Amino acid sequence: MTVVRWGRRAVLGVMGAAALALAGTPAAEAQGLEKTSIGVLALASSGPIFIAKSKGYFEKEGLDVDLKMFTSAQQVPVAVASGDVDFGVTGLTAGFYNLASKGAVTMIAAQSRDEPGFQLSAYVATKAAHDAGLTKPADLKGKRIAITTVGSTFHYMVGLLGQKHGFTVKDVTMVAMQDVPKMVAAFKGGQVDAVIAPVTVARQLAAEGSGTILGWVGDETPWQLGALFTSPKTVAQRRPLAEKFVSAYLTGLAEYHAAFNAKDASGAVVKGPGYDELLAIIAEATKQKPEVVAAGLPYVEPKGKLLVDDIVNQVKFWQSEGQVDKALDAKSVMDLTFVK
Amino acid sequence: MPDTPLTGTSLPLQDRSPSQPVRFRGGGFTVKGHRWAALLAFVVLIAVWESTNRFGLVSELFLPPPSAVASALAAMAQDGSLWQHLKASLMRIGVGWVMGTVAGMAVGFAMGIGSVARAVGVPLVSAFFPIPKIALLPLFILWFGIGEPSKFATIGFGVFFPTVIATYSAIDSVPRNLIRMAQSFGLPWASILRKIVLPGALPGILAGFRITASIALILVVAAEMIGAEYGIGAFVLTAGNLMLTDQLLAGVLVLSLLGLTIGTVLSILERRLLKWR
Repeated sequence: MTVVRWGRRAVLGVMGAAALALAGTPAAEAQGLEKTSIGVLALASSGPIFIAKSKGYFEKEGLDVDLKMFTSAQQVPVAVASGDVDFGVTGLTAGFYNLASKGAVTMIAAQSRDEPGFQLSAYVATKAAHDAGLTKPADLKGKRIAITTVGSTFHYMVGLLGQKHGFTVKDVTMVAMQDVPKMVAAFKGGQVDAVIAPVTVARQLAAEGSGTILGWVGDETPWQLGALFTSPKTVAQRRPLAEKFVSAYLTGLAEYHAAFNAKDASGAVVKGPGYDELLAIIAEATKQKPEVVAAGLPYVEPKGKLLVDDIVNQVKFWQSEGQVDKALDAKSVMDLTFVK
Repeated sequence: MPDTPLTGTSLPLQDRSPSQPVRFRGGGFTVKGHRWAALLAFVVLIAVWESTNRFGLVSELFLPPPSAVASALAAMAQDGSLWQHLKASLMRIGVGWVMGTVAGMAVGFAMGIGSVARAVGVPLVSAFFPIPKIALLPLFILWFGIGEPSKFATIGFGVFFPTVIATYSAIDSVPRNLIRMAQSFGLPWASILRKIVLPGALPGILAGFRITASIALILVVAAEMIGAEYGIGAFVLTAGNLMLTDQLLAGVLVLSLLGLTIGTVLSILERRLLKWR
């Protein structure tokens, strides 16, 4: 009995000491660093942030950055607006512009782009629709297309495709399915003619024979997919913090670009310096296998420059769709003073 | 007695004259009609809500003031989209609820009366009731498509199980001695069912309706996740995705007004059908 009790006490003691040690280390390490936080999605498009965090670029700027993971692009700007996080980095949706029109968020640097040669999102036709003659993206006019939600990036991609091929979103029937699994269910059930699907889903549909990939959004209509943003309040009151944050972010961005966005003379994407190391960092942060991450690495502009014309086009598109306040000035949603 | 004020040095009660009449104290928490109280509470709540925005305590984004919600609602009523949304949702709620209720009552009656049906049914209901219908939406899409049938099915399934439970426990609670008496008087089986079991179970079944009507309202939002263009649920989802908080609350307000209307209709129904009590 005494042995048991001694043992239990010893165990408790060790546990207590371990807890103290665990609680103590980061606090000691983070001393003198300014605390800040960013909302991200566990996707390869957040890669530059994961790299900057893992390789200590934020710490070099004197920042202790807490990464808060979110599950949908809609939630991140809301968290920035409510002050739960200082920064956010995700895809741009109509919801983002509505928050921007109320002065809650502003873009300060670019995230990923849809760019020729980079396969992020595909137009996929069902087998039946393909057999009936749906063979290229331009044929999507007049078809039924499943999207996630009204105001999503997929919604804008359909609009962009229309702008290129001379039709409007009124010429297609968009069916809002709320999320990707339901979108896939509608696709497999033959309820729609096509979907715009993320690369992993598109490849899976093609591999199992239920769909045919018609083309890639990056090849068809390059556009500014996402951005790094913060609240105008942070810019006004804590500008030095924002500048340091952007500086570390751009270091990660440049490294990401060098490793994953390099092309050879023929235009094919090749492995750049540090490829394996950076891929391992992103794989760990997104909790996915490296080969899965490698299949969908988006393009980033190495200096973090936004495609200003496309942002203006996005705002105009949502306004013409009646989903964003007509009074919003497109230039007011971005602050171009951080990225030179 | 309560009218005599205690003046000067207050005397202990037992020192007063014993012939005094004793006030009736056993009132309990008697329910009295206070029509104005509920109305006043609403008015005060809305006034406080509006003033938090007017004085800049809360940003309009986080909690749109009632005036913004009202103008969003007015805009919907003006361009006719409100009726389009209401029509679509009411049709889905109506058809889904009736389907779920008819099937649920049939099964509930079978389980309440037949012991074999109950032996089979109780574990099955226990197994299927807790399945979240929203988790099944992708399957419903494959089975029923993305048209109206999958929406009816979502609401119908949600309504079915609570109706089964309400019906068979209502039948269970019909006084046994009444049934035994009717049996010993030699009443035919159908007559017992119609004259004793059905009226006896009706209060319980109607209480079940109250719950299932609310479940149908909750599920219409889930059902309209499935590629719905019109409908109050689809409207609320879109407003949420677009971060248009005033429209979001306007849609929620319509849903809760629908709930209030259905509740009132059920109260009238209860009063009519349960007059015999």
